[in-house]
Amino acid sequence: MKDLKHIHFYEDLLEQANNELVQQAKSEGGVAVGYTCFYVPEVLLNVGNAFSVRLRAPNTGSLDISQYYMSSFICGYSRALVERAFEGGYNFLDMWAGTDTCQQMNRVVENVVEFRLIDNPTFTHGFLDAPMKITEHGNKHYEHMIQVEFLDKLKDNFGVDISDKAIRKAVKEHNEMCKIFEAISELRKAENPVITPREFHILCLVSYACPTSLILPYLKETYADLKKRKPDEKCPWRARFVVVGSELDDYTFSEIMESCNAYVVADRYCFGSIPGRKQIPLTTDRPALEQVCEFYLAENQCPRFMSKDKIEERHAIARKLYEDYGADGIIYEQAKFCDFWGYERMLENAKFLDDGDDIPVLQIDREYVIAGAGQLRTRIQAFVESVEIKKIQKAGGAK
Amino acid sequence: MKYFGGCDVGSTYTKAVILDENGKIVADTTLRSKINSEQSAIMAMEEVVGKVADLKSSKDLTYLVGTGYGRNKVPFADENISEISCHAMGVHVTNPDVKAIIDIGGQDVKGIAIDKDGTVKNFAMNDKCAAGTGRFYEAMARAFEMDLPEFSKLSLTAKNVIPITAQCTVFAESEVITLVGEGKPTDEIAAGIQMAIAKRCFVMAKKAGAVDSITLTGGCAKNDGLKAAIEHVLKLNVVELKTDPQLMGALGAAEYARQKGMAN
Repeated sequence: MKDLKHIHFYEDLLEQANNELVQQAKSEGGVAVGYTCFYVPEVLLNVGNAFSVRLRAPNTGSLDISQYYMSSFICGYSRALVERAFEGGYNFLDMWAGTDTCQQMNRVVENVVEFRLIDNPTFTHGFLDAPMKITEHGNKHYEHMIQVEFLDKLKDNFGVDISDKAIRKAVKEHNEMCKIFEAISELRKAENPVITPREFHILCLVSYACPTSLILPYLKETYADLKKRKPDEKCPWRARFVVVGSELDDYTFSEIMESCNAYVVADRYCFGSIPGRKQIPLTTDRPALEQVCEFYLAENQCPRFMSKDKIEERHAIARKLYEDYGADGIIYEQAKFCDFWGYERMLENAKFLDDGDDIPVLQIDREYVIAGAGQLRTRIQAFVESVEIKKIQKAGGAK
Repeated sequence: MKYFGGCDVGSTYTKAVILDENGKIVADTTLRSKINSEQSAIMAMEEVVGKVADLKSSKDLTYLVGTGYGRNKVPFADENISEISCHAMGVHVTNPDVKAIIDIGGQDVKGIAIDKDGTVKNFAMNDKCAAGTGRFYEAMARAFEMDLPEFSKLSLTAKNVIPITAQCTVFAESEVITLVGEGKPTDEIAAGIQMAIAKRCFVMAKKAGAVDSITLTGGCAKNDGLKAAIEHVLKLNVVELKTDPQLMGALGAAEYARQKGMAN
């Protein structure tokens, strides 16, 4: 297939956190708010003249400094964030929207704040204490925390408009972007799709890493290009997979999948489109903030939620994606030392075995920086081969 | 007569096998890998092709499959297949009764469960570090100033096992040197090393679904001390293969080549 419109521009944008569009937004008076987790409703960071940047640490090298302060038994994502902060990579930030959602994220904020790593005199931070259960009290607490830790700080420190009207405007723009992703995601259901896993991953990453208002026009043009695009005559995909798991902001993973002729039909991981690119429904009878907070807690599928109903919901979602997208298997990927996903992937593997309907599951434990791609490729290729042969046998095509 | 090739370019050794239409091995070779995978593959293929009178070059093979670490560097290969699938198939055609494999390669350890048709049922892989791999054995043999065959038999005379606590290859080598310096019996230290690796293998085999018996493939399959440790201490029966276990990846690749070449 010919190159997708803007794909090389997107690749360039992903080379650094302070990318061209972030710089443009800043130069136009924007307030840059960095965040790391779905628990922080990004749409609420895009109110008024504020804009969100989901933080990545592209081109991470050695993690010596962060390892010294954080130990080596902590996930690579959190260490890379701290390392890059020490290197000055996030000095463009006006605010860090931190979370108390896992020990790793706690340590990131702790180090960033304690060592004053952001060299920006007006820099401030907020810290979200998120509930571990979805109850009426939990919802209220979550909304309160977001109000006082993020919205009030944006207003008090930078004069950002955090009114109900501003929130509704941000949701409208967010939904416009999500609508594009929902449409592109549908294209992945085709037998010979017009978008590759690598391309989809890149689109998703830029949508998180760039100001929504500035990336949206590009995404619209890319989608228009996709609608006209013709797939290669010969379908290169040998098997189709749902990828479920933890933080994954390196599209090398999708490149490795592609090199094994494995197609990612659905991406249910942090930085993926499910549920991150789902439209937020709003009604006019209640405050927008309340509805947004409810939505984010309800849609959140982080394994930090350990109640039985949430565990079952996560299993049901993975199964539904497998069925809806006509997948041949599920890949559970986990950033090494991610406590919650480490437990989740083992549990889910066992649950799928218990279900007894032979849904193939591969578990991958990977570093933040996907080095040693050869070995990851071997695992995925072997999985593709075993799934493919079983698919052929099921269809009665081989002895 | 049609001929089919399999070339397994490993990180330490490159192996090649040629099969005839009936699945009989007509030529094989095992060479030390060069730093350049393509060069290793060329050398191995030239050698096996030279052993078959009907063949002048790799191009004369009806179908050629590359496998192993350098699988996509095999010249003229029709396809590359992962070494996990190829080891499973290689063992299956050698002994269809074997259902689980521990493959100890130069840079990783794999546990593989085989389905009834020779395909992979399940697998587990340790690729995080060199502990328990061929590289680990090389480092240990170096610490004892022995070659690998000599080192592999050293533990067989041990009456006791001195446990090795370090998992890291570098630290384990240092620990072994300290123990040797303290005058501890070398066979008992070697038994500790074999035990440490056997335990790693045990975990991989169990993760892949091994029940009571396994076979060993890869270069380390020729290690008598490891085999003894797995059998006697870990209570897993190690099935001996009638074909060189180091050739299983190349054999499996050649068998896949035969199946695909005959179907075309």
